[in-house]
Amino acid sequence: MAGVRIQHLYKRYGKGQQAVVSDFQLDIQDKEFIVFVGPSGCGKSTTLRMIAGLEDISEGEIYIDDQLVNKLPPKDRDISMVFQNYALYPNLSVYENIAFGLRMRKLPKHEIDLAVKHASRILEIEPYLQRKPKELSGGQRQRVALGRAIVRNPKLFLMDEPLSNLDAKLRVTMRMEITKLHKKLGTTFIYVTHDQVEAMTMADRIVVMKGGIIQQCDTPELVYSKPANLFVAGFIGSPPINFIHGRIAQTPQGRLEFQTNRFQIRLNETAEDILRHNNQVNKSIILGIRPENVKLEGLYSETIITGIYKNNELMGADRFLYLDIGQEKPLIARVDPDNRFNEDDKVKVELDLSKAHFFHKETGERLRE
Amino acid sequence: MQRRCNPLKPSGLAVKFGFNAIMIVLSLLMILPIIYIFNHAFKPYHELFIYPPRFFVQEPNVQNFVELFWVTANSIVPASRYLFNSVLISVLSVIGVTLVSALCAYPLSKHPFPGRNLLFATIILMLMFTPEIIQIPRYLVVSNLGIMNTYWGHLLPVLAAPVGVFLLKQFIDQIPDALIEASKIDGANEVITFLRVIIPMCMPAIATVAILAFQNSWGNVETSALFMQDDEMKNFPFFLSTLTNNLANNVARQGAAAVAALIMLVPNLIIFIILQSKVISTMAHSGIK
Repeated sequence: MAGVRIQHLYKRYGKGQQAVVSDFQLDIQDKEFIVFVGPSGCGKSTTLRMIAGLEDISEGEIYIDDQLVNKLPPKDRDISMVFQNYALYPNLSVYENIAFGLRMRKLPKHEIDLAVKHASRILEIEPYLQRKPKELSGGQRQRVALGRAIVRNPKLFLMDEPLSNLDAKLRVTMRMEITKLHKKLGTTFIYVTHDQVEAMTMADRIVVMKGGIIQQCDTPELVYSKPANLFVAGFIGSPPINFIHGRIAQTPQGRLEFQTNRFQIRLNETAEDILRHNNQVNKSIILGIRPENVKLEGLYSETIITGIYKNNELMGADRFLYLDIGQEKPLIARVDPDNRFNEDDKVKVELDLSKAHFFHKETGERLRE
Repeated sequence: MQRRCNPLKPSGLAVKFGFNAIMIVLSLLMILPIIYIFNHAFKPYHELFIYPPRFFVQEPNVQNFVELFWVTANSIVPASRYLFNSVLISVLSVIGVTLVSALCAYPLSKHPFPGRNLLFATIILMLMFTPEIIQIPRYLVVSNLGIMNTYWGHLLPVLAAPVGVFLLKQFIDQIPDALIEASKIDGANEVITFLRVIIPMCMPAIATVAILAFQNSWGNVETSALFMQDDEMKNFPFFLSTLTNNLANNVARQGAAAVAALIMLVPNLIIFIILQSKVISTMAHSGIK
């Protein structure tokens, strides 16, 4: 099986044009499930298509299994790809769709038959083998597309937003199916999506991209708990993280405070260390805190602030409160659904600063320990 | 509300009935010439020249068919030779035109190359000119190639069909790129992708182009008149025109001409009836009429 090494990869459409992908560097381990995630136009699909050989590489190198593949046509890279719109051949039956790649490789008939039967058993599409793609439902077509990908036993699976044409419920099932498939096959997967939930639930490692540049590449846990910068923090997580703009000021006692025009909160020692270490005292800063770390009552009286209740969203298990705290955007708090408020009520919430992040005002980078 | 939505309320029914009545009258009008041709071919001589002319045949017989094929069989060039030429040329040109058009349309649609848009615009521009405009250059080309009096002379001038290229390109444009990419990853080369993925998917458009090519070549008098000096190389429509044109006797061979007209019509009719559903779907796809 195969690892993939990508070095200083660039993609430009035309000379002098801005790069759609720039300086992409990544080492993908064998059997890893890598997810490229980012907003549309961030270059994630382009990168995947360069790995597949469907797009020319402007600069840089791609190695699959330590073999340089820059000039290799897609069919010689031993990869398979699942497309967003399934890309099944409409004139061929399901069986022939799955067998197409094997026929192109001139395998003997009985081997093709065996491989197709095996793949269709894994994906539970045996009853539909003689049907045409148009007679199948979306989920079944997706399975056939997966079948076509796995039947050749490639070194590397590429998936370009394979679930985005499915309805929400089916997406959840197929998400789990693909994870199961990955475990079963033990092959390297590269999966492109714009859906952060897919990224969080499926990936061994997530590559967050924006504007053709990798923002962060880490495990889902780390991407969530230690986002590299404002973009990653804001992109991953639903509802999105709260950003509070303010200043770091020193009290006469020598402690540090986070101040906005409405309130100030005393910082804990870890936070103080980080801020002093990064030389941010008396400077403007952005505090990031996730909605689940904004609580209605708490232990730390020093971090309680007051917001004016504006509206809420009930999600069943949670209620999201939108509180005006004098910032551009309301502060979102994730609380128990039993809490009800009236408009313009004053609501005291406590910020759990042990889970908060500080971001550099200009660069947007998270301040590190 | 309920009543307003009901399509079968009295006034709606009347409108529908009236509309259908108009359509039926119009379609009868359209079908009249076809019925007339069928009847005409079976009319004996005295019925062909009857005054006032009758629409339907009274005493049908096959005298005209006998005249066309058996009487001319002993002439220098029998009618069957013209018919053979026509069938051969039409079949070859249907195959040739669809093949050339598809081979031209596929790269124009799916392979970006410098000057692609200019090339396509030029092809579209060709649609603006009537064939008469290029008759002289065409004659010079055929003459200089030395293919006068050969089947190539019939075939080559009709091979490049802008309409065919246009229809097929519009149709191939609808095929998602992912399909071509999938077949590339599956290991197919361009030829296999073209033959096994692209062609099967644009069968409706190919059917349309084939019909157009057939009609164009089946009824084409021009190549026979201009490029063929030998009579045995001319085609059936040319023969038909010699039967009915004003220089010839207006009375003699009228029955044979009626049968010839029927022979000209029948293949078109059959092909169109078989393939009409595909044609309509192409027209719907390409956005043109």
